[in-house]
Amino acid sequence: MADLLELDDICAGYGRIEALSGVSLRVPEGGIVALLGANGAGKTTTLNVVSGIVAPTRGEVRLAGRSLRGLGSDAIVAAGISQVPEGREIFRDMSVHENLVIGAHARRDKAGIARDIEVMTGYFPILAKRFRQMAGTMSGGEQQMLLIARALMARPKLLLLDEPSLGLSPLLVQQIFDIIVRLHRDEKLTLLIVEQNAAVALAVSDYAYILENGEVVAKGPSAVLAADDSLRAAYLGA
Amino acid sequence: MNTEIVFLFLQQGIASGLVTGSVYALLALALVIVFRTTDVANFAEGEFYMAAAYLAFFLIALVGLPIWAAAPAMVVGIAVAAGLFQRVVLRRVAAARGVSVNLVIATLGLSYVLKGFVRATGFGDTPRSFPSVVPDGSVTLGQASLSYLDLAILGAALAVMAAFFAVFNLTRTGRAMRAVGMNRRAAQLVGINLGRTERLVWIFAGGISAVAAILIAPKLLMTAEMGGVVTLAFAAAIVGGFASLPGAVVGGFIIGIAENLVGLFVSTRAINVAPFVIIMLVLIFKPQGLFGGRLRVRKV
Repeated sequence: MADLLELDDICAGYGRIEALSGVSLRVPEGGIVALLGANGAGKTTTLNVVSGIVAPTRGEVRLAGRSLRGLGSDAIVAAGISQVPEGREIFRDMSVHENLVIGAHARRDKAGIARDIEVMTGYFPILAKRFRQMAGTMSGGEQQMLLIARALMARPKLLLLDEPSLGLSPLLVQQIFDIIVRLHRDEKLTLLIVEQNAAVALAVSDYAYILENGEVVAKGPSAVLAADDSLRAAYLGA
Repeated sequence: MNTEIVFLFLQQGIASGLVTGSVYALLALALVIVFRTTDVANFAEGEFYMAAAYLAFFLIALVGLPIWAAAPAMVVGIAVAAGLFQRVVLRRVAAARGVSVNLVIATLGLSYVLKGFVRATGFGDTPRSFPSVVPDGSVTLGQASLSYLDLAILGAALAVMAAFFAVFNLTRTGRAMRAVGMNRRAAQLVGINLGRTERLVWIFAGGISAVAAILIAPKLLMTAEMGGVVTLAFAAAIVGGFASLPGAVVGGFIIGIAENLVGLFVSTRAINVAPFVIIMLVLIFKPQGLFGGRLRVRKV
């Protein structure tokens, strides 16, 4: 399968602090790839480079073979990459409905947007129940679902998920990942999932990379990594 | 003072206060939309307003445009200038050292540039009066009397506010502005162009300030220092909670009415004190402002 997303030798940082030193990774079209590692390993920075929020100091990001160099975050969303950020980055003082509408900001097809809102409330029935409620008043799990739905409203080819399990109960984590897998299958989405919860991420993904101190220290098919006890002990704390 | 006079003063004070308050409200609105979306307190707001009055004056007196052509040309001119300021100056300051304080200082710099520019033309030192397009005459509402000019000011200010509220709350562009104010990172992630949105906010702020200037200019003498009135707009914004648009409008009216009531009941020399007393009262009893919602602790 062709690679939808390619990162070649990416270096990036904040001021003088280098967060990524030469990260390369591939996400095949239609695949689910997990990016694992401890806090501060550079996982979120990697996603921010892909989303155009952090500019790499070296290296190149390509989507379906086309370089994303110099594109702003708005152009990258329009090109087909959406991110589900961690930490409940919702528009608190907008209704659930308006959060969904704004997810489609890059699109102009009114009818298609209305149809996709229906599709999203099909995947996440709770959002239909909370439709007119201010997003900031919802529970953590509901906000996480809204974030995923909002990102999908842009009709992405590639969905980046930043710690979707963060701060959720095991039951909710299972629910969210079930929906993610269903979305992958039904909407033919390609996924790059950043997680600290290695067990869950390895269970759903085909391939995984492990980051440490801004470098890829291990990679391989998820089933192989999951079976490697020494690797798990060294990097994944499990 | 008998009750009949108290009642008369109250009516007149509220009516006149609504008129001056509507201009404060416009300036406060311009301050608040910029602050909400860009976290910058615009210290050049008063000078936008001052430059707008002078630009209209130049277009009428020197270029010879009729006022119906000069007014819209001036509003567009100031709006474009505000957009250019964001594009040319603020964007670079943000890129070099993206701290809010530096951006605020840049606006302070702009205020001096504009004042210096107006003085350099040689017209800024002697106070000038501005022609009015509205015919003389007045109407009586209850026992209060308002001139046609007063009514035109209030009506036009309300129309501009209503138009901006419609854009802000009902359009795609307005939604992007609100989103940037709520959560910049999330706004970027849904594909909103931060730079373009901020520029649009500055353009709107410039345009609104220019409208305020053309409305109130016939009632005031123009000087290079006339931008000092922005103090009252800051007062209005603080009373309203500084991040709330309806708050800015209500704050503007409160300050305008308070000034007029103090002028009538206490002394015209006490007028300048009124806004500060109101700020103090608001800060003591509702420190987040009348429309500030809950107190929220923010990381800085």
